[in-house]
Amino acid sequence: MLRLENLSRQFGGVRALDEVTLNVPAGQIYGLIGPNGAGKTTVFNLVTGLFAPTGGTLEFDGRTLLGLPPERIARRGIARTFQNIRLFQEMSLIDNVIVGMHAHLPYGFMDLLLRTANFRNVERKARTRALQLLHRVGLGPLCNELAGSLSYGNQRKLEIARALASNPRLLLLDEPVAGMNATEKNEIMSLIRSLRQDHLTVFMIEHDMRFVMGLCDTIAVLNFGRIIAAGKPAAIQADPSVIEAYLGQEEPA
Amino acid sequence: MDWSAWWDTYSTLVLSIGVYGMLALSIYLTLSCGLLSLANAAFMGIGAYVSAIITLHYEWPFALALLLGTAAPAAVALLVGIPVLRLSGVYLAMATLGFGEVVRVVLLNLDITGGPLGLNGIPPLTTGWHVLLALAATILLLQALRRSRIGRAFEAIREDETAARLMGIATDRIKLLAFVLGAAIAGLAGGLNAHYTFTLSPGNFGFESAVDILTMAVLGGIQGLTGPLLGGAILTLLPELLRGLQDFRMAANGLILILVVLFLPHGLWDPARFRRWVRK
Repeated sequence: MLRLENLSRQFGGVRALDEVTLNVPAGQIYGLIGPNGAGKTTVFNLVTGLFAPTGGTLEFDGRTLLGLPPERIARRGIARTFQNIRLFQEMSLIDNVIVGMHAHLPYGFMDLLLRTANFRNVERKARTRALQLLHRVGLGPLCNELAGSLSYGNQRKLEIARALASNPRLLLLDEPVAGMNATEKNEIMSLIRSLRQDHLTVFMIEHDMRFVMGLCDTIAVLNFGRIIAAGKPAAIQADPSVIEAYLGQEEPA
Repeated sequence: MDWSAWWDTYSTLVLSIGVYGMLALSIYLTLSCGLLSLANAAFMGIGAYVSAIITLHYEWPFALALLLGTAAPAAVALLVGIPVLRLSGVYLAMATLGFGEVVRVVLLNLDITGGPLGLNGIPPLTTGWHVLLALAATILLLQALRRSRIGRAFEAIREDETAARLMGIATDRIKLLAFVLGAAIAGLAGGLNAHYTFTLSPGNFGFESAVDILTMAVLGGIQGLTGPLLGGAILTLLPELLRGLQDFRMAANGLILILVVLFLPHGLWDPARFRRWVRK
């Protein structure tokens, strides 16, 4: 579904990503792991169009994403969350989610000016759906609070609800359980499983190994901008180059 | 009380409250999507000159003059906005300020605008009803926008433009819309203003009025439409109320502004603060 081939990105003289080749198949939960600074978030920034790659190709559903601005890529059906949460802090939870639906509210300028039946209908349905999404991530009762007033864990949940609002086919999650407690982690885990049942493809970056290993169908490991391994969780756990990347090389005897 | 005598004395002031309310709303529109644009005084000037030239030299109907006075600055905003809105923050403020100076200098040097003498003897066609109608239309338009996906997009862009783009919001087009609509409202206000002040000169639309318009919105608060209207009314009335202070009234005006900005950073009309008062 999402294909990266020899994708590279240089920042000045630094090769943040060096010929990364990945293939995220439809319907999977795909994990991207690696030490800090390996370039994981850069992968997401290239896929969502925030940065342009300096080399390689990038395809979604067989069509290239290269040269498209972020809003066009979003409209193709890719949504994401952020490692350093980027909510609209001064808006209510429900408005945050409805902003996520922006490109899918079919009414024109005249509709909103005259508040036509179509306009009211579309807005009412958007609210209903936003509430459903908030309930799905467990934030239903807080729908009228301001996003900025939420706890850290709840802000992450709201970001997921907002990303789901655009009805994406591919969801990119950047460290979805960072800073969460064990209960919250379990909630997010079952939420992501239920998303796969809805035929959503999930591509996520996460440091929590128990979480990644328990959830992902396939895992790729990025180290210093290069993919060093990709495969089933069990194979990744046993891969010597992965262990070396995380724990360092064993001192020769 | 003799109403007609009262109106003769105060009509200019009352009309100005409405016109400056519209100008404050026009800059509120761009501020609400995070754009610090100082071009609204220039757009007001373009609207004022275009409509006054039409009624003075061509004697076309007033409605048509106002319509063209609204459309002309909007068209200019469209052309200027496409390159200029790539900037943000203080750079946008500087570019729009520069645009304002260009407009002022052009008005100063054209023959049709009367050069430094400006235009005189503009027919007094603006009535209270015109201003009321234009103000009401502006409020209804902005209110409709606020409650729609476009209003939410404005707010999303102001809070986090990158996140807004990733929600599928075409931020360039939304910002251009705010800029052009703001110019249209400012132009209409300028057209109405020209037809009760009788005279226009290029100096009316320079740096000082750009800052005045911004101050109205900031003083009133930009959390909604009430704030800019309130700010416009206060800054129109204040110099009149302080007339007793004579030479010191501009200083008093400035002092009041400093105090408001220091102690009420969200402006006078801040619904969140009102809610906090109620909860206490």
